[in-house]
Amino acid sequence: MDRDIYLIGLNHKTAGVEVREKFALTDCKHLEEGVVPVDGCIKEALTLSTCNRVELLVVAEGDNAIEHVLECWAKARNLPVEELAPYVYKHKGLDAVTHLFTVAASLDSLVIGEPQILGQLKDAYHDSVDKNTTGVVLNRLLHKAFSVAKRVRTETGVASSAVSISYAAVELAKRIFGDMSEHSAMLIGAGEMAELAATHLLNNGISKVYVANRTFARGQALAEQFNGEAIPFEQLFDQLEKVDIIISSTGAHEAVIRAKDIKQVLKKRKNRSMFFIDIAVPRDIDPDVNGLDNVYLYDIDDLKEVVEENLAQRQEEANKARRIVDCETVTFNKWLKSLQLQPTIVDLISRTDAIMEEELAKTLKHIPDATPEMEMHLREMINAISKKVNHEPISFLKRRHEEEEAGERYIDITRRMFNLDRDNVTEKAHPHRRR
Amino acid sequence: MSSFELFSILVVTLYCLGALTVFAGSISKNAKLKQLSNALTITGFGLHTVLLGYAMALNGWALPSGYYISMLSWSLLLIYFFMWWRFKLSFLSLTASPLALVLFIGSFHAKGASQLPKAWSGAFFGLHIGTLFLSFGLLAMAFGAGILFTRLDRKIKSKEPLNDFEKEMPALSTFDKVNQLAVVAGFPLYTVGLVTGFIWARIEWGRILSGDPKEIVSIGVWFVYAWLFHQRLVMGWRGRKAAHAAIWIFSICMFSLIGINIFTTTHHSFLQ
Repeated sequence: MDRDIYLIGLNHKTAGVEVREKFALTDCKHLEEGVVPVDGCIKEALTLSTCNRVELLVVAEGDNAIEHVLECWAKARNLPVEELAPYVYKHKGLDAVTHLFTVAASLDSLVIGEPQILGQLKDAYHDSVDKNTTGVVLNRLLHKAFSVAKRVRTETGVASSAVSISYAAVELAKRIFGDMSEHSAMLIGAGEMAELAATHLLNNGISKVYVANRTFARGQALAEQFNGEAIPFEQLFDQLEKVDIIISSTGAHEAVIRAKDIKQVLKKRKNRSMFFIDIAVPRDIDPDVNGLDNVYLYDIDDLKEVVEENLAQRQEEANKARRIVDCETVTFNKWLKSLQLQPTIVDLISRTDAIMEEELAKTLKHIPDATPEMEMHLREMINAISKKVNHEPISFLKRRHEEEEAGERYIDITRRMFNLDRDNVTEKAHPHRRR
Repeated sequence: MSSFELFSILVVTLYCLGALTVFAGSISKNAKLKQLSNALTITGFGLHTVLLGYAMALNGWALPSGYYISMLSWSLLLIYFFMWWRFKLSFLSLTASPLALVLFIGSFHAKGASQLPKAWSGAFFGLHIGTLFLSFGLLAMAFGAGILFTRLDRKIKSKEPLNDFEKEMPALSTFDKVNQLAVVAGFPLYTVGLVTGFIWARIEWGRILSGDPKEIVSIGVWFVYAWLFHQRLVMGWRGRKAAHAAIWIFSICMFSLIGINIFTTTHHSFLQ
């Protein structure tokens, strides 16, 4: 019977949030057999469910696999299939492989290149392995998907630049200061975005965060959160001598910091660079500050522009990444096809023959006065050895293929045992890969 | 072909390939090409060291005449490798490799200084050459760093999007550290180089100054360098202004090294 890979799912493009909520399978991990039990026509199964997508990946036999998976899904949510069906995409065979690779490489994400999806896919896979619902095909497919994601990440720029305002600010700070551990930051005023930027700065190793807030108590509470130090708002300018990165987000109606103030500060600082991030509207910092040497000022619009450029660039890089995905789909397909009996037997014989030929050539080099007759006898001998050595494994494979359903497994083992795919499996490879 | 010539051609080939691969690697953002470039330049540098050592050994452990520019090219790479090790600044190979190549090729046309050092005054002469060459190397790096700093600084200030090449660049502060080193270490070395030169001239020729164009330019450079030293250390100059000053000083040094040799007569001539 024909076996194929199916992928049934919905994502942020095909379904609104209320539909995604209804059909999410995040709380179905407790199901002992998984959402789609491995039984009957279903041979292998994996469930991925995140806030933006649900993907059900199965290896199945027969024609009604898709209907069966949809039924299982609807049943798990106690909702009728008809309600689910209009939002669902169904991929079969190579389309399913391509789709999975695209998802793993974060090319199908809401924000292209975001790194969470790969972790979520890995979790989903480990869950399926624990429930013992994966087999030869899915093991190989998922590991391939992980390596495709890694390749896309290293070979293209889909994940290289910041796509949020606070990250963009941190990236700029790194471009100016390099090693963050020698530098400190100050928050003027508090706000969600300022706090987020401060958190990112701390994660990137900044040495200390100061908080200057008009309400000292509020500043103190915030400083505590960052393990930092609150300073009275009036002493702001004295403190500027010490800090390198200033994130301002007060509700003031006119500029809090002016170019002429900063000139004085710079003198005291001996011109060490300063980076001002003004995320307040109306702006807190006089734009003239940017005109001073060694001072850099970015306001909210500048940062937004950086983010938009980076997003556009990710789109461009995504095209490059899609080519990698296509290429890897072809490779996977080759392996999938080789999982049949006949090609494996051919590969096994030609592998043995190649080794024998190589050794024969080496041997003949050492016998300079070998007659053609002698060579003929040697050749006959190696052919006989090749046939006899391969005879038992081949008839074993044929028997397993006829008798049991596990034929694929033995073919896979044979291919690996004799390394017929010429893979480079290193010592460090994941146990599932080496298995 | 003598083994000297063979060695020299090998060094030129390695430096040339090193310079080409570093450009290709930087443009295509190919890390492997950059690694290859470093390997080529390091091998070239190793052979260059052997070459200089051998030439000195044959000459009773003094640098023979005709090897000054070769030595300058060597010092430049020495300083570059130091920067690479100290600041992880492989970026400066963009300046170092081609400059070292040009100087090394230039050294083929070199002849000795018109009067050679005698007896104990040779120590002053060696110091004169060594310190000046090291400070040139430091200035060359500050020159490269200065150009890259100016470019990146302008882009960040004007909020223009960075291209791929600029995205790979190290932080602004790293470039400024190169400038700092060129000023803090380079200026004293330059001063020692000048003073030892005068002492040697006093011993050998009986007069400190002989009105040679290169002497005059060098003293001029010393004043500009001293001014930068003062501004940087006392006035706290950093970033753009210091970078510009270093670019100017190095340009004048190169002019005095090459320009004066070609267009005027000087007893500092290394060229035929």
